[in-house]
Amino acid sequence: MTVKLNHRDCQNFAAIDVSKGICHLTKNIVLSDTEQCPDCAPLRKCSGCKQFAATKDAVEMGVCNASRNDPKFFAYPDMVATTCEMYQGR
Amino acid sequence: MPKKLKEVLVEAGIPMDFESGGHSPANLTDREIVREPHARVKALKDIFMQTLSSANNEFPYWYSREYFALDSEIPVIRRAQALKTAFSHLTPVIYPGELLVMHKAPFFRGSFPMPWLSEGYYMAKEDELYQDALKRGSASADEHSKFGTGGGNVTKSFGKVVSLAGKFGMRQEEIPGLLNLAKKWVGKSVDDLGHKYEQMVPDYEVKEALMRNVFCMFDSGYTLPQGREVINYYYPLEYGIDGLLEIARELKDKVAGRADGDGIKGTNRLFNYEAIILVLEGISTWIGNYAKEARRLEGLEKDAAQKREYSQIAERLEYLAHGKPRDFRDAIQMILTFHLAVLNEDAISGMSPGRIGQVLYPYFEQDIASGRISEDEVMELLELYRLSISSIDCFASAGVVGGVLSGNTFNTVSIGGLTKDGKHACNRLEYLLLEAGLTNAMPQPTLALLYDEKLPEDFLLLAMETIKSGVGYPAFMNNQSGMTFMMNQYAAEGMTPEEARAWAIGGCLESSACCWKPLHLNGKEYFIPGGAGQPTSVGVHFLALPKILEAVLWNGVDQRTGQKVFEPHNRTFNTYEELWDQFKLYWQKAVDILALTNNIQHDVWRKNNMAVINSLMKPDCLDTGHLIDEKGYRYNATYNVESAGTITAVNSLAAIKKLVYVDKSVTLEDLKKAVKDNFGFKTAKEVNSFSLSDQEKREDGPSAWDKLHFMCLQAPKYGNDEAFADQILLEWEEFFCPDCSNYESLFAHKMYPCQISVSTHGAMGSATIASMDGRLAGTTFADASLSAFPGTDRNGVYALLNSAAIWDHTQSQNSQLNIKVHPSAIQGPSGSRKLLDLCQAYMRKGGFHIQFNVVDTKVLKDAQENPQNYRDLMVRVAGFTQYWVEIGKPVQDELIARTEYEGI
Repeated sequence: MTVKLNHRDCQNFAAIDVSKGICHLTKNIVLSDTEQCPDCAPLRKCSGCKQFAATKDAVEMGVCNASRNDPKFFAYPDMVATTCEMYQGR
Repeated sequence: MPKKLKEVLVEAGIPMDFESGGHSPANLTDREIVREPHARVKALKDIFMQTLSSANNEFPYWYSREYFALDSEIPVIRRAQALKTAFSHLTPVIYPGELLVMHKAPFFRGSFPMPWLSEGYYMAKEDELYQDALKRGSASADEHSKFGTGGGNVTKSFGKVVSLAGKFGMRQEEIPGLLNLAKKWVGKSVDDLGHKYEQMVPDYEVKEALMRNVFCMFDSGYTLPQGREVINYYYPLEYGIDGLLEIARELKDKVAGRADGDGIKGTNRLFNYEAIILVLEGISTWIGNYAKEARRLEGLEKDAAQKREYSQIAERLEYLAHGKPRDFRDAIQMILTFHLAVLNEDAISGMSPGRIGQVLYPYFEQDIASGRISEDEVMELLELYRLSISSIDCFASAGVVGGVLSGNTFNTVSIGGLTKDGKHACNRLEYLLLEAGLTNAMPQPTLALLYDEKLPEDFLLLAMETIKSGVGYPAFMNNQSGMTFMMNQYAAEGMTPEEARAWAIGGCLESSACCWKPLHLNGKEYFIPGGAGQPTSVGVHFLALPKILEAVLWNGVDQRTGQKVFEPHNRTFNTYEELWDQFKLYWQKAVDILALTNNIQHDVWRKNNMAVINSLMKPDCLDTGHLIDEKGYRYNATYNVESAGTITAVNSLAAIKKLVYVDKSVTLEDLKKAVKDNFGFKTAKEVNSFSLSDQEKREDGPSAWDKLHFMCLQAPKYGNDEAFADQILLEWEEFFCPDCSNYESLFAHKMYPCQISVSTHGAMGSATIASMDGRLAGTTFADASLSAFPGTDRNGVYALLNSAAIWDHTQSQNSQLNIKVHPSAIQGPSGSRKLLDLCQAYMRKGGFHIQFNVVDTKVLKDAQENPQNYRDLMVRVAGFTQYWVEIGKPVQDELIARTEYEGI
């Protein structure tokens, strides 16, 4: 299944705020929730990480298996993981 | 059509004339001076103007994850490791055109909740927020094009954006995570633990009643535990991060396991140095992550000029992640980075950069001399700095952010003042700082001019030009009074007259203790000032005098809610002196219980949530190995008692004294009945205006109170250089100022008075019934601590100054006087001179603070009707400037109502 990506899912989108950002390629202000362009470079998020395990029946929530907490600390798919040293792409 | 108070008074032949010294021109009058910033700054500012205050979970997520993984660690290590982890995981974001980079959170105007301070708001709202988030998920695409109104405030949810506290927007995808984080802190936050233990204070129910009935505005222990202080950039500038790490590691080795004569705290130094090392490593990683992002953008960029700038940014950050600043560009980036770092460790309002004209001068002087930078390039950087500081938001509750702060975060820069050796401090960079405030007019940093007779004339006249542009700054602060207060409060901790010269404003207008440190640059030594004191945002905050008076008159009961606040006094007041005596007794009871409970909250804060980053920067923590919680700061006597509604209470007492006890023209009981019935008027909420003149009579309102109401309105009022009311102010100050030293902070120091209103005169006024001065229910109090109530200062502006200066301002951390002037009153060079004469006259009388709104009231009225046309209109609210559209309606109404001086 292909997941539809929006501008806010792109590495080249610099979020100005929660609803819009600047595209580094075009320098235009674009809305966060409008669909990506063909040049989109997918942003690293927990949803794309092998360490993330979704919680059954709760699509917005899961756990990070790389956490050293016991029980494992929660995580959620939309969280940006650009700086996460534990990130492992699927 | 119900009659407005203004119309009723005109009919009675006693019009409320809100213009003084003439009449304003019929047409809308713009401000005389308008300047523009550099093109690069203007482009980024245009983005700022469209930016919504935004929050996400990134920092609190990583902080909490690490904190809960270390549940058996030493508290200070646990805190530092959590901070390190959070900083290391912040997503860097750089915008095209930026030269100064780094942000609090990955948005232009980003912030985040800190549930370790307080999670109650989210838990109370849990269901509402969650349902809103679910609902948002199905919003139509059309809604996305609505970016919201009210400037940057996200007052309502839209699209996939959920409004938090009526101010911040958060993505709906983040809400479940926010609630999950909040749940983890239940019973563990400073708020929850503080509440658990503060209930053990005898008479705790009085404290609860004071808060519930808005006698007091907020608890400082978990809302804004740090701030209203001056930061200190000396250590990162002198040593750089690697240099500081080396110092901390050496000292850690030196103290490990050693008590060195201090059997209680001596061995703590090991853990404190380790904590310092951890947070420095986190900040270094954070800077390094920004450097990597700049390198990535450099690789992506096609435009040669922008590519080169990304490369320069990357090089600078790669260096500053370890080294000490080499030049002006390094230094201004470094102070911005550490400023943001401190703001990210706590909910902080009023972390003032202080006297950066002195701090950055060594780099400026040497770069200009060597041709490494031009004045124009410095100006561009200073304008960009204003943009960065104006973008700082503080995520706190709706009551604090809206009701107290009006969305501002009070990062004040002080200019003027004296050098260490007593000369005036107006170097060339100070002029440029002032000019940047003119060319890039933005709310922050607001400028505080430390007025001293030694300051050069051309500097003061440039300040007048800036004020005339309508930006609301610089405010004038009395340098000699500030130094005297420093010595009064901090001599016991070793303050010397020479060190007192380093003082600066922290927050709006809070005099803050500072010190001098020797900065070395290319073999030359400079003494630069910086903060050396604890926060002054702490203690008893915003206790409303009019509410205390109400409790006195109604035997301890709040008349809006009908709830008992104090034990009944059961006194009948045969004389004014008896009433005044009871006022003082209730005031003291309130301050005492609030001081004790706030001490407990702050004690919880210092045990679990102590400042590590701010501490390492403040002398003498790094030298002694003790952080803020162990009195590592040089000056610790910073807790204060903050009053609100002073002039409304003074005018009310004057009316009672005159009508009931001197003239005996009315009984106290009749006066109370009229006040309780709001003199036959609707409430401000019903009218939807918080200005006195707009209030409407009830259709069925009895006219029986009309005469009495007129008598109250015509009773003696403060601000006219008339002894009757002014003596009551004097009597209050002579009680209040010394009384504060009867209360002790948790650091075992005496407290002192703080007299500013911020925006509380709006919020607290709306929770107060009518008052004896003729003010009606729900309308605002007089603003500040020494501003006249709107329309009551009828004898000219110099009479107002005489009234304000009747007491000794050096007894207090501050006082506050705001004046609204029509632009036509001070036009041209002669207008500037008149304005300067006015400021100097007040300073010479011993006034501590004066500031101006140079604006046509008609413009404000038009802006209220048509906010879409006034996105960039700025006004001076209290000790700060803010965008009109980001201010709540009560304060807007009060600003419109303030007396407008047409001539001075």
